[in-house]
Amino acid sequence: MYLPKQWSEVTLEQFIEIAEIDKELGAYHYNSEILSIITDEPPESIEDMDIDELKGYIDECKWALSQPSNKYKSELLGMKAKPFSKLCLYEYIDLDYYFTTNYIKNLANICGILYRQSKVNEWGEEVLEPYEYDCTIRAEKFLDLPITDVYGIINEFLKFRENFVKVYQNLFQGDELPELTAEEKAELTPEELKDEEDTKKDSKWSWERMIYGLCNNDLTKSDKIGGLPLTYVFNMMGMKKELDI
Amino acid sequence: MVTILGREIPNKIEELTIEQFEAITDINNNKEIDPVDRHLQIFEYLGIPEKEFFDFDISEFIEIVKEFNSAQDPLANQEAVTTLELDGFTYTAELKLTVRETKLIEKIAIHKQKGYISDMMAVMFKADHLTKAEHYAEAHLKLKSKHIRKLKAEICIPYIMFVANKVKNQVEDVPTEAVE
Repeated sequence: MYLPKQWSEVTLEQFIEIAEIDKELGAYHYNSEILSIITDEPPESIEDMDIDELKGYIDECKWALSQPSNKYKSELLGMKAKPFSKLCLYEYIDLDYYFTTNYIKNLANICGILYRQSKVNEWGEEVLEPYEYDCTIRAEKFLDLPITDVYGIINEFLKFRENFVKVYQNLFQGDELPELTAEEKAELTPEELKDEEDTKKDSKWSWERMIYGLCNNDLTKSDKIGGLPLTYVFNMMGMKKELDI
Repeated sequence: MVTILGREIPNKIEELTIEQFEAITDINNNKEIDPVDRHLQIFEYLGIPEKEFFDFDISEFIEIVKEFNSAQDPLANQEAVTTLELDGFTYTAELKLTVRETKLIEKIAIHKQKGYISDMMAVMFKADHLTKAEHYAEAHLKLKSKHIRKLKAEICIPYIMFVANKVKNQVEDVPTEAVE
């Protein structure tokens, strides 16, 4: 049984599997599952071990106590990582969704959005392929790569998003309203409760509502809007809001 | 045995059944009730109704509790019984744990369901004629646990001590936060 010695020997797929282990089932369950995943041994063979033997292996995996390096490769599988500053609206919306739901489990999909094929155009400039493919299909290509090749994307995007939301905070206000408890709801009048539900509906559909508004209720324009640079779209929205036009 | 209010009740580990030991341990572990209520509940469980203590002076009650508890030291150095005859079948156990067994015991401990000591013993005692799959089958473990519950509690002490010590030695190094 080969035991990896560092995170670079663990693939993205294995890392996602580790993240999916149910921690509520206890430490032995967690450790035996991890060992099975990183060694590619069937769970049954790990379960037949004496617990002292398991402890021996786990002791050799102290490196797993720290996170993988916060770096990522700018080129992978012949594709280039698109800089966050150049994201278009649709790319950002999809990334935001994957990060909000679970950025570890969705890391392969996130890579599928960010890593692009490129070519040199007639002007001798390098251009990245447009976001006109299914990122979940591309995601499969990343599963066998070492987690250390892509893990840093998480921190980098979180920093980018934090900064982006801060810059355009007046356009994001009200997006993340906390869920009211049953007691808090009980104290509301029927009118207040309806307002609260309307606000929640608005929040749920906020991206769609924004696009619908930007394309003046003409959905045939939505793909064009989605392909525009993210910062351009938000600058325009900021301008519209400030000038009230 | 100890005689309280004219009733003889078990108070030694070799007198209590595992079922009684589990129930008493559960009551003892309930920190939501005070020690007096805890002992009233224990005596009630062992057959002395709570109302019979209503006229008791607290100092008299404390003396009764002291007498009851005087024989409850676990037999730490007791040798483990490794063979059991249950319902016509022979079951054997060793003082060692595989990962599968530890996971099952961990699950039992997490859920703290009624009868967790006998459930743990059911995992450790195996019948020679059964396959691994049969041994760990939920229905089989449940039935075995039911039989074990009727045995004397002294049998389970070495196993409780073994599991507790084993787990205590191991959990300190468990890397449960690997992907936080």
